[in-house]
Formats: sequence, C-alpha cells, structure tokens
Amino acid sequence: MVNSNQVILVAQRLSKRFGGLIAVDDVSFEVQSFGVTSIIGPNGAGKSTLFNLLSGSFLADTGEVMIADQVVSYLSPQERLLAGMARSFQITNLFFDLSVMDNLRIASQALESKTKLYLPSRQSHLAKARAEELLEEFSLTNSCDQLAGELSHGQQRRLEIAVTLATRPKLLLLDEPTQGMSAADTEDTSQLIKKLGEKITVLLIEHDVELVMNLSKTVIVMAQGRKLAEGKPAEIRSNPQVQEAYFGEETA
Amino acid sequence: MLKPQTRAIRAIEVSMLASAGILLIVGLLLNDSFFLRLATEALIFGGLAMSVDLLLGIVGLLSLGQALYFGFGAYLSALILKEMTPSFGLTIILVTISSALLGWITSFIALRSKGVYFALITFGMAQVVAKIVYNTRSLGASDGMMGVPIVQIWTPVGIIDAAQPSTFFMLTFITIGILYAVSKYFLNTPMGSLWYAIESNENRLAYIGFQSKRPKQVAFILAAVIAAVSGSLYPMLRGFVSPELIYFSVSGNAVVTVVLGGVGTLIGPILGSILLTLFKSVIGSWTTHYHIIIGLIFIIFVIFAPKGIAGIMTKLYGFKDSKRRGN
Repeated sequence: MVNSNQVILVAQRLSKRFGGLIAVDDVSFEVQSFGVTSIIGPNGAGKSTLFNLLSGSFLADTGEVMIADQVVSYLSPQERLLAGMARSFQITNLFFDLSVMDNLRIASQALESKTKLYLPSRQSHLAKARAEELLEEFSLTNSCDQLAGELSHGQQRRLEIAVTLATRPKLLLLDEPTQGMSAADTEDTSQLIKKLGEKITVLLIEHDVELVMNLSKTVIVMAQGRKLAEGKPAEIRSNPQVQEAYFGEETA
Repeated sequence: MLKPQTRAIRAIEVSMLASAGILLIVGLLLNDSFFLRLATEALIFGGLAMSVDLLLGIVGLLSLGQALYFGFGAYLSALILKEMTPSFGLTIILVTISSALLGWITSFIALRSKGVYFALITFGMAQVVAKIVYNTRSLGASDGMMGVPIVQIWTPVGIIDAAQPSTFFMLTFITIGILYAVSKYFLNTPMGSLWYAIESNENRLAYIGFQSKRPKQVAFILAAVIAAVSGSLYPMLRGFVSPELIYFSVSGNAVVTVVLGGVGTLIGPILGSILLTLFKSVIGSWTTHYHIIIGLIFIIFVIFAPKGIAGIMTKLYGFKDSKRRGN
C-alpha cells in the first residue's frame, strides 16, 4: 500500500500562452495520494487548459509536470496514461458508433500485453473482465449492447468516467463529470467519485461548488490563469480573496 | 440472437458459396467459359474493392489510389510468370511479401495526412506510378505486357495447370476467400477493435493508451497486400497487363463497388463487384454507354441506400427482429 501522504502529481510553475492570452500563468501545486482534490474557478480561469497541460493534450510553454517521481512534461497523452494518469472530458468523448461493451473493452485493452493485439479478442481475458467489472460498477450492464451514441446524456457521462477508469489509473483527472446531469444523477456521481477517492487519487474540475466542498480534501482556486488559493474546503470558504473572485462573481 | 448486420453478412457469404458451387457445376456440365471467366474477373475486382472497404469502412480512410497496389500485383505477377516460373504458389508468395513492403513504405507518405488529404495523396501516388509505368519501355510502356503463360499449381499429386476456366475460377475463389478470412480474423482481434475505434473517434485513442498511427499502418499494409494479391490474379486470367490497371478509373470503380455492395462489411464489396460486372456485361451487350446507367444507379444508392446492398439486407433483418419482438 502506498503511503497516503505521498505526492502523486506535481505541477511546477506551469505556464501556457495562446497568442496574447496567458491561459495558465505560473501555476504550481502538489496532489497527495488518495482522496479528491478539486480545482475550481470562474469561467476562463484556465482550469481546462491546466488539465490539458497535465494530461498532455497541450505541452506547457514552461514548467514541469511530474507523476509520482517521473517527469512527464514532454510525454504524449498515451505515454502519460501508461505512467498511471487518465483523464475524462468535459464534452463527452466516446466511441459513439460502438457498443457500450466495446467502448469499455477497447479502453481496457491497454491492460493486455502487446502480443495479444493480433490474437482473437476472446483471448483478451483481462480486458473483458475489466469491462464487465466497469459495466457492473457504473450500472450499465443493461445497456451493454447499445451504441454509446444512443445512450441518455446521464449514461454517456457515466460511461465517460468508466472508459477513463478502464486502464486502472492511479491518478484520475475528471473534467466536470456532472456537466449537464440531473440532480439525482449528480448525487449518484458524487457518491461514486467519493468512493473512487478511497482507492485512487482523483483530481476534479467542477462548477458545482457545493459538490466540491463536500467531496474534496483539498481545493485549489484559480482565477485569470493564476492559482488564487489552496487549502481545505473550510479555509477556502472563508478566504476573502476567493469570495471576491469566485463566490462574489457567482452571486452577482 | 445475432445482430442484423452479422446475419446479413452471413446470408451473403452463404449465397455466394452456393452460387459459386452452382456456377462451377453448371459451367462444367455446359462446358461454359464465358460466365466462369466473367465470375473470375468479378472476384478479382471484388478483392480490390474489399481492400478499399477495409480502409474506408473499417478504419475510415478513403483511398483513391488502391489501384497502385492492384497494378503492382498484376505487373509483378506477370513478370514472375513470364520471366521466372509459371508457379501459382510462388507468385502469390512473392507478391504478398513485396506488396507488404510497398505498403509499409508508402504508408509513411499516405498516413502523414487525414481525411481528404489522405484521399488526395493516395490518388497522387497511384497517378505518378501509372505515368512511370506508362513510360517505361521494359514494362511494355503503354502497350503493357502480353503473353503471360498459363499458371501451374504444384500439388503433392503433381502439377495441375489452370488452362480450364473452371480450375482458375476455383483457384480465384479460394484465393479471394482466404483474403476475406484473413481480414475477418483481424477484425476479431484487439487490433481490429482499434480500427473501429479510429473510425469512430480517433482523438480519444491516445487517452486510452494507444496511438492511432500503428493500427492505421497495419490496416494500410493489409489492404495493400489484399489489393496486390487480387491484382496478381489478373494476368493469370487475361494473359496480359496494361498501365490502365493502375489508373484512377480502377481505383474509382473500386470505391463505387464498395458503396453499392455495402461499406464496412468486406463481403458486400465482393457482392457489389459481382453484380456490377454482370451488369456491365449484360447492359454492355445492348449499349456501349453503360457507364451512364451505372452512374445513375450509384447516385440512387448514395441517396436512398448509402449502406449499399448489405445495408438494405441489414435493415430487412432488423425489421424482422423488431416484428418478432412485437413492436
């Protein structure tokens, strides 16, 4: 078992500029193993860009990303996944023309050895077992033969997380997982994220502040590309700077 | 119960096997050579269409230059048969190996781009090679090469020659059948799943731990081999090769065949090729302007049945299923 105080993710002075816009400006933080760490901030605060830098969708202009002790700043998303980090997407990003089962099975294929790529799929026992496990865990068993594109929005959001979990990542990046979900689905999903946090490390971007405050052990607040504050939910709530930049704007 | 598309594919496979058997028996009894040779040609171009479908229907890559590999197979086969040995097996082996190499090398050029640019690059590569062949005297230039000898099959019981149209029909049927079986095998491996995944959402692949480049390359090479082996049968049937085999009309025809037969089914394009060849032959005996009619049929299919004949059958099976379930 890993020591729960171990640092699993380090962002060191990350910056990213798009033309004249500095989307992420000198952001540093550490994520401890296990539990849920959340990033909040108003629209345009740079949360999604920061996620893209962490997951390798974009390369940072300056700064480093480390997973455990490995520097991954220049690795592709695929290589970062193999280093133990997986991410979901704010806009559902599935294999829409394939069945739910196929989505999960293909996403689990990375668990198999490369030599199995050319053997019949039915011999990919690890991938199949993992897919079935996830179907169960995300209550998608009844829809397993349906095409992912035919699912309801809530089911698609669940499948999005399931696909991301398929490779058994140590570190899970969730980009607004409850986006567009009904209140009931949001509640289920937040329970699920909480449970995930007991087994692996979750880094969450979320708009729903209440949800974040209930789930997280640490909250990072971003505004205008910078890290504004970092601390326990209670500390964040009482931070005047945060109230001004975030909560103030929300209620305004 | 099997899915409607699986059942449609199964139905086409069975009916094709049955028609081949009937054609063979009737052909032998009536001592026919016209229809047997026509069916053989349909299968050969069906193999080419299948290779286009592997890229287009499974991986989502539209190749407009698949005739490059078809023509390569045809020319190499003609050269081997004329200059080296009339052995069928050796020709197929050599064509397989060299076309895999050619596919591997050209994949680095073609797979640099996606979508319409991929289509244009494959088109361009085939046109360049066609022009080179057209101007190369040692390959017969614009006349092509004639006088390809009849192939021989070395079996444990002795050498059989394929002078009989029925023998060569069987040989072609088995060869195309093996190409089909190999493709189907790949579709049922994790590699095949990655192809479907690329077709569906290529960008997601990196985030589940795979690059799209390698699977695309494997598919590209396999398609090159299928096209080349199909092409290698052409001079065995016709006794000659010409630069027209590499031209766009052949590549374009293959795409039309895929759309008519049913994209993404592999067997549909073979059925499409058989129907188109038959059609051309029947209508061609009335009028030389059969291209107009084929063009019209193509337009009608694209509008009303974009998934081709296999797609229509899939729909019918789907209706039957939902009726049985009582909705």
